[in-house]
Amino acid sequence: MNEEYICRCEEVTRKEIQEAIDDGATTLAGVKRRTRAGMGLCQGRTCQRLVTQMLSKVKDPAEIKPPTSRPPVRAVKIGEIVEGEDE
Amino acid sequence: MKKNADAVVIGGGVIGTSIAYYLSKKGIGVILLEKDDLASGSSGACDIDIILQSKNPGIHLQLAMESAKMYETLADELDFDIEYNATGGMILIENEDQLKVMKDFVRRQKDIGLQVELLSLKEASKIQPGLSPHLVGATYSLQDAHVNPMRLCFAFSRAAKRLGAKVYLGTSVLDIRAENGKVKSVITNRGEIETNIVINAAGVYAPFIGEMAGLSLPIKPRRGQIIVTEPVPKLVMADVLCAKYIAAKYNPNLLKESDNPETRLGVGLSLSQTRDGQILIGATREFAGYNKNTTHEALHAIVNNAVRLVPALRHIHAIRSFAGLRPYTPDGLPLLGPVENVQGFIMAAGHEGDGIALSPVTGRIISDLITEGKTFMDVSKLSPSRFGSLSGNENAM
Repeated sequence: MNEEYICRCEEVTRKEIQEAIDDGATTLAGVKRRTRAGMGLCQGRTCQRLVTQMLSKVKDPAEIKPPTSRPPVRAVKIGEIVEGEDE
Repeated sequence: MKKNADAVVIGGGVIGTSIAYYLSKKGIGVILLEKDDLASGSSGACDIDIILQSKNPGIHLQLAMESAKMYETLADELDFDIEYNATGGMILIENEDQLKVMKDFVRRQKDIGLQVELLSLKEASKIQPGLSPHLVGATYSLQDAHVNPMRLCFAFSRAAKRLGAKVYLGTSVLDIRAENGKVKSVITNRGEIETNIVINAAGVYAPFIGEMAGLSLPIKPRRGQIIVTEPVPKLVMADVLCAKYIAAKYNPNLLKESDNPETRLGVGLSLSQTRDGQILIGATREFAGYNKNTTHEALHAIVNNAVRLVPALRHIHAIRSFAGLRPYTPDGLPLLGPVENVQGFIMAAGHEGDGIALSPVTGRIISDLITEGKTFMDVSKLSPSRFGSLSGNENAM
């Protein structure tokens, strides 16, 4: 059970996330910095809820902030960003 | 409950955790206070470069070179994988004017002992494929390297804890109490800690800590925006900067009047690839207060600059952008050492974009100054007193 993957993009297991929480992480960003969960291609879309659930055992769920959302919202080819400038 | 410590370090970034470690190693009882989490500020929102070539020849480069030596054995010493990798680094040169500036920069760096050379475009392309054919060459140093700054904070913090340091996360400093010009205690949201020594390693937030001790510190936030790509096979072989980066770093006044958004935002290429394969493309240098948002204007400017220099990036996907605040000082050097008016108040902040490179050496210098009153090199040029008495508002920026 502890070996199941919570973050599939970065292959982070439940055990590793629990260790990050034991190390003092109380936010999604804290877990991310310690384990890379949420840093991959999907940017936490899959694992965010599961990690939040695990964090809710050490922190009031109402106080768990959603991750900062940053552009681009989904993967964009760099060449397309450059061309966008010319429009 | 009232606590006490030989020294209280304020700030859980690459500077504060390093100081906590080196002080603990000398047998000093340390409490580290961090208002959020380790690496939650600038140390978790930056690139991964330990780059020597970008440092001004002089005390800045000397510091970086001492730090680089310490990095070589640091992972073993801390017993933690900090993803250190001696990749080498290059600075791309686009035209004859830049070439002239870089030739002089390289000559002065060589005088101090940095191994750095000028390469033709052909030679540079052998090391780093995918460069634009319009470049006239590059400087190259084997001494540049990479590290994961977040793992560096965790490594220092864990090693310090093993040596007896206490690390309090989610603990903000509310006030610093002094009597007869001497530090007596630190008041936090979790109680008071008695101590005779306080180290202000709060980075861009250092001025707020300074204020509590009646000091006005000449540090202000300079925003750096960075783009992250999807993981790809090894493409960026070294740290890759461009000569404009050097101009952006040392000449903020030249930048702000420009009509060109790339120039105005202080865009200089900083390209590196993490161990996981993601490429970090940076960066801007902007004065935007404490605003950590990323902007579309900057995203475009960073990408345009990067693609012009390294067209191979075109086909890769960007997945995220982020921004961090670099603690800027007017002379580009950190404030390291005691202040004149408050005995026991030690500054260790203002590294701007060089905090990662200078983290180990800063820990060593500050721990030496606290335990022995001197260190292995002359650091008088880094003394906070170079900005005057620091009392009142004369340095308010």
